[in-house]
Amino acid sequence: MKTIAKILAATALLLTTSLTTHAKINVVATLPDFAALASEIGGDKVDVTVLAKPTEDPHFVDARPSFVVKLRQADVLIDGGAELEIGWLPPLLQNARNPKIEAGKPGRVEASEGIRLMEVPATLTRAAGDVHAMGNPHFMVDPIIAKAVAQHIANSFAAVDPPNAAAYQANYKKFEATINAKLQDWGAKLLPFKGQSLVAYHNSWVYFAHRFGFDISVFLEPKPGIPPSPSHLAEVIAQMKAQKIKAIIVEPYHNRKIAEKVAEATGAKVVDFAQFPGALPNTETYVELIDALVNRLGAALQ
Amino acid sequence: MKKISIAAACICTQAALLAQEPAATPPNDIEALRQQVQALTETVKTLQQQVKDQQDALAKMNAMPSTLPANENRATTPEPNASPPPLFPTTDESLVATAPPTATSPAGVTTTSQFPTTDASVTTSSETISSSGTGASLTAPVTIAGGGKTYMNISFDGVFSLAYSSDRDLAHLETGDHDPQQRGFNARNAEIALDGAVDPYFEGFANIVLKLDNDNETEIELEEAFLQTTDLPWGLQVKGGQFFAAFGRINPTHPHTWDFADDPLVHGRLLGSDGLRGVGAQISWIVPVSWYSQIIFAAQNGRGNTGYSFRNPGNNGVFFGRLTTDREVRGLEDFVWLPRWENSIDLSSTQVVLAGLSGAFGSNETGANSRTQIYGADLLYKWKSPRAEGGFPFVKWQSEAMYRRFEAGRGVDQTFPVSETFHDWGMYSQVIWGFKKGWTAGVRGDYLHMQDSAFTDDDARQSRSRVSGDLTWYPTEFSKIRLQYNHDFLEANDFLAEREADSIFLQFEFILGAHGAHKF
Repeated sequence: MKTIAKILAATALLLTTSLTTHAKINVVATLPDFAALASEIGGDKVDVTVLAKPTEDPHFVDARPSFVVKLRQADVLIDGGAELEIGWLPPLLQNARNPKIEAGKPGRVEASEGIRLMEVPATLTRAAGDVHAMGNPHFMVDPIIAKAVAQHIANSFAAVDPPNAAAYQANYKKFEATINAKLQDWGAKLLPFKGQSLVAYHNSWVYFAHRFGFDISVFLEPKPGIPPSPSHLAEVIAQMKAQKIKAIIVEPYHNRKIAEKVAEATGAKVVDFAQFPGALPNTETYVELIDALVNRLGAALQ
Repeated sequence: MKKISIAAACICTQAALLAQEPAATPPNDIEALRQQVQALTETVKTLQQQVKDQQDALAKMNAMPSTLPANENRATTPEPNASPPPLFPTTDESLVATAPPTATSPAGVTTTSQFPTTDASVTTSSETISSSGTGASLTAPVTIAGGGKTYMNISFDGVFSLAYSSDRDLAHLETGDHDPQQRGFNARNAEIALDGAVDPYFEGFANIVLKLDNDNETEIELEEAFLQTTDLPWGLQVKGGQFFAAFGRINPTHPHTWDFADDPLVHGRLLGSDGLRGVGAQISWIVPVSWYSQIIFAAQNGRGNTGYSFRNPGNNGVFFGRLTTDREVRGLEDFVWLPRWENSIDLSSTQVVLAGLSGAFGSNETGANSRTQIYGADLLYKWKSPRAEGGFPFVKWQSEAMYRRFEAGRGVDQTFPVSETFHDWGMYSQVIWGFKKGWTAGVRGDYLHMQDSAFTDDDARQSRSRVSGDLTWYPTEFSKIRLQYNHDFLEANDFLAEREADSIFLQFEFILGAHGAHKF
């Protein structure tokens, strides 16, 4: 009984301290791109915790028990939705028991909400590999979409933390202006290469391609999520030679050696791309990431 | 555009009327005029609204109020990007794609952007993603079946195996009910899993298992069916129904998630071939500390074969040689009480440790007042590469140890010559190495010590050990093919001779439909 009393006392103490020290709102982002936007919008008024690492496959993150604790303490959760984290987020949310971040609450930002997803499959069959029933969820590499997500985040923060609402909206305006200005820069840099075809390891660049006018429809994976086979790679090499494709986009968690072999056979360059800030050197912010992507691609296509 | 011109025309006409009429009208008509003006203003507003609505409808086939602030001006965008070119625009007309800053100046301001900074084809106010509309060339206009648009996940999971063993009696060599039971083909676990939100307060889960016995007759079991709260305060969660006891790592999980084709010996022999599960209720609490710490407490009936070490009448009314009592619950002592405490910390950004202590306490049927206590400890370590693709590569080390104190009474009407207390224990430890995407190799060691008895000749009380190795290929997360080898060593006791066996299993699995994600 004494130990129980002690535990209860300790708990009460913890609860009160957590109440008094939490002036900032606790934001949990499933992926580093959402976290980067949350930091832009929240500034010093929020604490941002990110679950996945920038270098790992966002579809297959371990549902670590420590994530339950982070979600339990969250005031706001930002996730991609559209089945992006379907393999690991639902059991975490089930265990976290945090009504503040339930779907539909102001504390829940499902980034894909309000985004018109591309590549919504007409029929659902897993014979097509890893299909996303609701469309391709790798939308954050389109800066125009990132603006919409940022505003969604600003609205959520404003609803959860009304005293700082103006600051969040101001930060959003700032972010919007930055992106609008940067878009001119990015667009100009990639303009000379518009219409070119690129090869990607995995089909996660459709939004980037759409925004900057590239055609990315040849992939090292025969089907999404299915590892490259020698026969498929032979086809890819033939297509690359025929179309004179000059760049192969790989992400940190892909098998770079395969891309290098194909590059060797075709004279194309391997371009290290990433969807997430932090995965490439000096890309802590969203703008830095897109900067890096644009510069890397520009350099490779030069 | 036309609509806007009409609206503008209306405004002009009314303005002209307003300008002319006051001078020509006596003062007592001012009130009437005022009303007229008001009515006209309303009309203009309505017209403006209509224009706005229709443009909205044009811009998006599904004109819904904006839930996202992304494009609050989108409504009056003069349709430049109804079908945005796939390449970014080079001509001046398309450079004006930017939405005007205010809703009332549709024809007014244009920006001097060199590159479009808005794009109505990618952001939409609509909740539905299935609609056609602008950007339809990029967004297939289809309706989605499933994919978050259904009330529950429905899946079918089939696990089959082709088995050979040097031992003829595979059914007794293997301790789990879902393990291969005979030489040749086995279909011991085909399950239908359902889960979803019941309402804002509960989630529901059901797992119905079908299996074929050695004569190809279908057996069915309601493996799990429970309700779980979602909205309780203070980190509490309550679960009720038929469910697996939260005891250790293997027991609460379904066979298709296991890393080997069969059950660890200690689990099958101490908690039972079907696992410890039953009808009951559970409450769990996430302890508010900085690391993950959860306390789980449950009570179950513990009756029947799924309460193996508890109120289990045994085979034909005999358990450990005793004629069992098979009685109703007399009091709280006849339930199985199931406490568990689990803790987890991240050793680094790539390494996780999860450790748990479990207990199961209740009565058994071998005597009027005979009791069973089972204690368990489990430890899981996992490393996963920071550049993991599809979850690979990783290394997972999982171990469990259990101890059972079993008071074996003298059976119904004191028909057995002695009462004994068995101290049985065992453990397994396994390492799984996911060495490349879709591939894992595993080794496992099993040990089971059953206390010798000069009176009890049950073959489930034979001490034994096993080493296993397996290689698994997961073509995708929805299928797997596994080759496993077991070497079993069964120790001699007062009744049974020493025995060795070599077994080989080829297991294959498929999952159809939407299967809920698994816990860590």
